[in-house]
Order: sequence, then structure tokens, then C-alpha cells
Amino acid sequence: MSAALPVETRRRRERTAFAPVSILVLILLPLLLMPLGAVFVFALRGGLPAFWRAVRAPEAQFALRFSLLIAFLTAGINAVLGTFAAYVLSKYRFRGERTLGIVVNLPVAIPTVVVGTSLLLLWGPIGLLGKLITPLGIQPMFRPAGVLLAHLFVTFPYMLGTVKPLLDELETTYEEAAYTIGAGRWTTFRLVLLPALRGGLVTGALLTFAHSLGEFGATVMVSGNLRLRTQTAPLYIFAQFEAGDIAQANAIAAVLAALSFLIFFFLFRYTARTKKAA
Amino acid sequence: MSIVLEELTKVYAGRRVVDRVSLEVGEGELFVLLGSSGSGKSTVLRLIAGLSRADGGTVTLFGRDVTNLPPQARGVGFVFQNYSIFRHMTVARNIEFGLRLRGVSRSERRKKSGELLELIGLGGLGGRYASQLSGGQQQRVALARALAYEPRVLLLDEPFGALDAKIRLQLRRTLREIQQALHVTTILVTHDQDEAFELADRIGVVDRGRLLEVGTGEELYSRPQSFFVATFLGAGVVLHGRCEEGQARFGRVTLPIPADLPHEEGGPVRVLIRPEQLVLDPSPGTEPEGTPTLGTGTVIEEIFAGSSKRVRVRIPEQAGLRQIFPVAPFGETGILVDAVLGADRAIPDEVSVLLKGWRVLAQPEPRVLSLGEAPETAIAAAKLARSIKAVLTVLGIAKDSDRVERTRSEIRSRLGEDASGVELRVRAGDRTEQVLSEVSESFYDLVVADGGGDERRRAPGERALLQRSKTPILFARGGERPLRSLLICTAVGEPGRNDVRFGGWLAARLRARVLLLHVAVGGQEPAAWVHAHLDRGVRTLQALGVDGARKVLPARTPLEGILAETRSGAHDLVVIGRHAGRARSVRGRDDVTFQVLRSADRSVLVVPADA
Repeated sequence: MSAALPVETRRRRERTAFAPVSILVLILLPLLLMPLGAVFVFALRGGLPAFWRAVRAPEAQFALRFSLLIAFLTAGINAVLGTFAAYVLSKYRFRGERTLGIVVNLPVAIPTVVVGTSLLLLWGPIGLLGKLITPLGIQPMFRPAGVLLAHLFVTFPYMLGTVKPLLDELETTYEEAAYTIGAGRWTTFRLVLLPALRGGLVTGALLTFAHSLGEFGATVMVSGNLRLRTQTAPLYIFAQFEAGDIAQANAIAAVLAALSFLIFFFLFRYTARTKKAA
Repeated sequence: MSIVLEELTKVYAGRRVVDRVSLEVGEGELFVLLGSSGSGKSTVLRLIAGLSRADGGTVTLFGRDVTNLPPQARGVGFVFQNYSIFRHMTVARNIEFGLRLRGVSRSERRKKSGELLELIGLGGLGGRYASQLSGGQQQRVALARALAYEPRVLLLDEPFGALDAKIRLQLRRTLREIQQALHVTTILVTHDQDEAFELADRIGVVDRGRLLEVGTGEELYSRPQSFFVATFLGAGVVLHGRCEEGQARFGRVTLPIPADLPHEEGGPVRVLIRPEQLVLDPSPGTEPEGTPTLGTGTVIEEIFAGSSKRVRVRIPEQAGLRQIFPVAPFGETGILVDAVLGADRAIPDEVSVLLKGWRVLAQPEPRVLSLGEAPETAIAAAKLARSIKAVLTVLGIAKDSDRVERTRSEIRSRLGEDASGVELRVRAGDRTEQVLSEVSESFYDLVVADGGGDERRRAPGERALLQRSKTPILFARGGERPLRSLLICTAVGEPGRNDVRFGGWLAARLRARVLLLHVAVGGQEPAAWVHAHLDRGVRTLQALGVDGARKVLPARTPLEGILAETRSGAHDLVVIGRHAGRARSVRGRDDVTFQVLRSADRSVLVVPADA
């Protein structure tokens, strides 16, 4: 892009860049950067041993591991479901296509607490379906399965959002070329379509993972916030804060923040590399 | 035969985009399907490859009926306009893809892709990705990929359409060389006639889903049969005339009709004249005996074109001669022809235009245009078109371009079940102007207009049309009545022969009776020439195979006589001649044509003297 700009405009941009950049940094400092810094400062104020002890606490360990497990499962399941949804919405023309396109993107717009409530109203012990299945001994709410359901719901659009544009961009002749050469539908999907979608799949999975790791609103409703059973890391942090155990909360918050940084670092590197390759 | 298509049909949204296409392509042949965009030529290719399902007909490849097989099982190579190279695979892996699917070993795959890369002139570039190649290179890779598994049929869908002119030329040559080296049966789809001429062993011209003609480039250029092929390939003019006594008559010129193209007496005839077939004779009046002469014309334009020049000559209007291609500018009544001359030849302003060659085209189906705003008219026109086996076009006029679609659907719903097979045309703008443009731009044998109802509503459009149209106009009145008996009024002055000829042709198609009427004004015994004229008329009708009779009716005025005969109720259609451009009133009153049109309670067909 910038290579195409005439030299003169580029020079002018460099000269005047100082003022807007410093204003932006001044705005971002109290908004984003300082709060993030504060987490780490507070987490390490009691020294490394205290931090370590806080992280090693059984409840904290459970919360972190449970969060990671749910995030992996959510990312895995939604990678499949989201790609399938993207494929259907991109390659088929049918009645109600627009409506369905809006419905699958709805989770972005709905407050997560509302998502939690609606899941409870459907699956909960007195919910529409829950009423029927509770006597059979099946009750996903206030159990890990409920947390997974909530996370699948909330993060569903991420995969779709990164994969569908790539599929839309691929001409139908791309698949047809494979068909005429002799590849069946599944082979074509595996060897031709999927590799072309790789960038979107990785980005979508990482976004889903990161979002699932930090999910709070829906989780707090459906999990019942049960220690050592359904408590995710964000819920643990909140619970420790409420209990006044701020050092514990800070330690886990710092771990979560570091994990998120790691994911984003990887994401940036990856997208930068795929962009360069293209 | 390696590729055989039989009655292949594909329907989209009720329209046949591929319409009963039958074709045989020989082994090792390079066949080109040529047509404009949207003609259905690419769909034919997709049907052969199995990328679309046929709604009718069969595809046979090397004796195997593959009509219901998926593309994977057909074993054809397909090259798309947009290359569709797999972008996450290297060039070599793209080419090897088909071999990999067929379980060929890695070393053999490498060998094959190396050979193919050499063949397409990209040796050593096997490790590149599509994004590192130019469009032309990508298309070469696509070709290699489609050939790698040695299909016996290669299909190319506008393969050079997205490339620069220069690269296109190079690729054409490469394709021809490879095709001949591998002897693979090939069908290529293109809209570019130069490409077709250069590459094809044979060409098939496609228009609106139909395969019109098949032949070598030379055959199609010099001996086309249809109007579409004549005008789609190469330059030239197409003139329209009528078949008279077994000959094609275009104004002053009469040309023989080839024996292989039977023409119906009295029906339309078209002739194609290429620029190189015209001779401009600088001294009019001295043209050699036996060379057909189109007429004397004025040079209106000379365009320098290097070694030659193009000279445009305008030949003034002649009765019975019309140019239908290229479409004359609005208001132009003469014939405009282009001739090619040596650049050094001086040419005077007045020249005689001689023909040293021509091609009479197959007789077209008659075309009827329905202008009616009234629903009865459109239905009457549909019935008439069906009974004379004519192609019907219904014209709608929308007030502005935004309402075109609405007008279109209104007409469709008005026609109801009669709408199938009807061409709908909607023009936007002033009614009179649009009607006149449509009639002068497209060629119709007959126009059907509203004859009944409120006269103010049809004026002034139909009035202007009557004065300026060279096409017979039928003013429909009385709706559903079948046309069994025609009354041809030859009473109006000297009517010429056109009313009898056209009326007779129509009667022959309708299988109707004809009564030739002469009104003896003032009750006097008519002169001998009137009888002679009526006799000639009856003979003309007999030659057309029509049951014709004659009648002389004494009356005070021509109008009274005609109306009296009409009122007898024995006639379904009144045919009346009219001189072109005559003022609408004679001594303060409408002339007889208008009077009849206003007073008769039957449909009236007005035939211009110069039709």
C-alpha cells in the first residue's frame, strides 16, 4: 500500500505523525495500558513466592485448568460447527438464507448475561426442555456441560466471521476444478477447500479460545459458580475479590492476562506472516 | 465420434438456456462453440463436464453415455476462464493433483509434471505458487493440470478471456500446438471470432441456447444460412425483400434462390452482401449486362484503413427493398452499404453499386409485433402469430426506465398462458417515438395494433406509424374472430400490387379465402385495365395457393362500396393499400384508408405501397 504512495505524501505523513500519535498514546494510557500494568504490579507486590502460592492453591488450579479445558473444547467444537455453517451459508442459495445469516451472528449482539438466562430458561430444572429431561437424570445446568453450552453459544460467530469471507471469495470454479480432475466432495473439501481456509480457521479458533477463556456473563448464570466443580478462572477471580482475598484474585488475573497476551502475540505473528505470503 | 450431444437441454427459471443442442465432435478435433455472452455456450460445456445437470437429452463420450454421471466419473479436462489454480499448492502439485488422486507414485508424478511444464513453456517453475505467476502463466498451469491425467476430452471455457491481447495470441498458438501434439478431442468456448477462426477445425455458432450452424470458418463466413450467423461473423449488409415467382426480389434487383434453401412464395427473403462483394462502378448507366445492380448511390464517407479504404455509399429508397442490418440510423430511409477499395482508387460522388457476389439466407420465420395496449389485441396477435407460424414480439412502453420491470410483468400476466414462446420487449420513453423506433430498428413482417375502443387513445401514435411505417399494420378489432376470409380492396386509386401480394401471402398462411374488390365509383362500367388488374390479382393469388375471387361493386364513393361489402358480414379482415407518406387528409378530409379504418367494424390490415 504505502509503497504506492508518492514520496512527497509519505514524507509529509512522517513529519506530522508526532502530534496525533502522542495524543493517541495519552488516551490509551489510562484506558488500556495502565489497568493492564496494575494487574501485574499488584500480583507481584507480595513477592514471587506469594504469587506462586496463590497460583498453586487447589481452587485456583482447578479454575485455571477448567477454563483451559472448556476453551479447548469450545474452540474445537466451534471450529467444526462454524466452518460447516460458513460452508452452508456461503455455497448454497435457499429461502431464509438471510434470516439464518442473521441468526447465527446473533450471539455477538446479545448481552452474555441474557444468554445465560435464556440457557437456564431452556435447560434449567424448570426450563422448557429441562422439565422434560430432569426426571431422566440429565441436567446440564450447574455442571461443566452447561458451561460448555454457554461458551459454544457465545463464541459461535467468531469462526463463521473469519471463515465465511474466505469461502465467499473462492469462486465456485475452485471446487469445480477439483471435481473435473476427479476429486469427490469430501476429498475436495479436505485437499482443496480446507487448506485455502487455513488462515481463517487458525484466526477463528484463537479468537474463540481467547473469548472462551475470559467469558464471564453467561458462565456465571449457568455454572452456579461452584468451587472445584464449575468455577472458571474469571469466576474465581470475581469470587476472591468479593471475599476480600485480593492477592489471590490478582495472581490469577495476571495469569489470565498473560495467557491472553500469548494468544494475541501468536495471532499477530500468524496474520502478519500469512499476509506477507499472499 | 468422441463427443456426441443429442437434444441436450438445460432450463433455468423457465427459460431454455440450452435448447435441444445436438452435435458430434470427431476424435482429435478442436471444435469451437462461438456465441455472445449469455448465449448458453458455457452451459453446454458445463453439461458435457457434468458440472450442470441436463434437463433433457444425452451426452455420450467415446461411446459411453455419461449424462447422469458426476463430473468425477467423466474423465474430462476442464479449463476455466479464471484459472482456478489451487493457491496453497505449488505449480507442480497443482499439475500432479489428478495423478495423486489416481494413486500414481511420487516419482512418476514428478516426471509427468516436469514434462508438462516443459510442454507449456514453464520449465523450472514447478516450485512457484499461483500468486507468483502472471495470468497467462496461471492459465498455462491450468491447461497442464487438466491434461496431466490424460483425459480424452478437453473442455476450455473462454480460457483466454481474462488475458491481454498479446498474451492471448501466444497462448492460442501454444494451445493449438499442444492440442495437435496430444491429439486430444477439444471443445473451446469463446465469444471472439478471430480466436474461433484461428483455432477451430470446425465452429458451431450458438445463440439463445440453440446451436444454429456448424461448419468450418470459411463455410460459415461465405455460406451462412441464418441471419444471426451472417451478421455475427464478419461484416456486411443484409437486405430484406420478398420471394416472387421463385426469385428473391430486392427492389430493382432479382437474385436466384439457391436450390438447397427452399423459399415460400410471397414470403420474406434475406440476402447477405459482404463488403468485398460490392463493386462500385464510377459511371452509372454503363453497368455490364447480367451483373445485378443494387442502384445508383452517393458516396457519403471514405475511411482510410492503410492499404485499403472503406467507402460508404447511400442508395436512395426503393420500393420493396429494405436494409435490416446494420440497423439504419433513425430517420434514414435509404440503404447504406460499405465497400472496400484499394486506397489509391479515386471514386466519384455518384457510383453504381454492382454485386459480384451474395448469399441468399434461409427464409426467416415471419415476425409479428404486437403493440396493443388493450388485452384483446395482445391475445389476437398471439392467436394470429400462432396460426401463421410467426415469431411474436410484444412491445410494452414504460413511462420511464424505472418502470420497465413492472411493465414487463404486467404484460406477462396479461398474456397469461399465451406468454410462452413470446418475446417481450419493453422500451422506456414517449410512446409514439418508441413504437416508431422499434418498428424501424427491428424487422417485422406485420405489426398488430389496437383497432377498437377510443380513437383518441390510439392517436397520434398509430397515425404517425401509419404514415411512416413500411410494415403492414393490422388494426385488430373484434378480438377472437378467426380470420377465414379476407377482403382485399383494390379500389383505392392504383393500389400497386403489394396489397394483393401481402394479403395473399397472409391468406395462404391462414388458409383463408380472398375476395378482390373493386368499387366502380358512380356506377360506371370499369375500364378494361381494372379487369386486367383484377385478373392479374386472382392469378397472383392462385400462384400463392389461395382460393381467390373477384367482385366489381358499383357505389357512390369508394368508402361506401367498401363499407357496404364489409357489412355483408362475410369478411373477417379488410386489406387496404396505402401510399407511403401521403398526407392524412385529402381536401380537408381523411383519405379512404383512414375513413375505412374509422368506420369499418372489422379488423383492418393496411399495406403500404412500398412494403
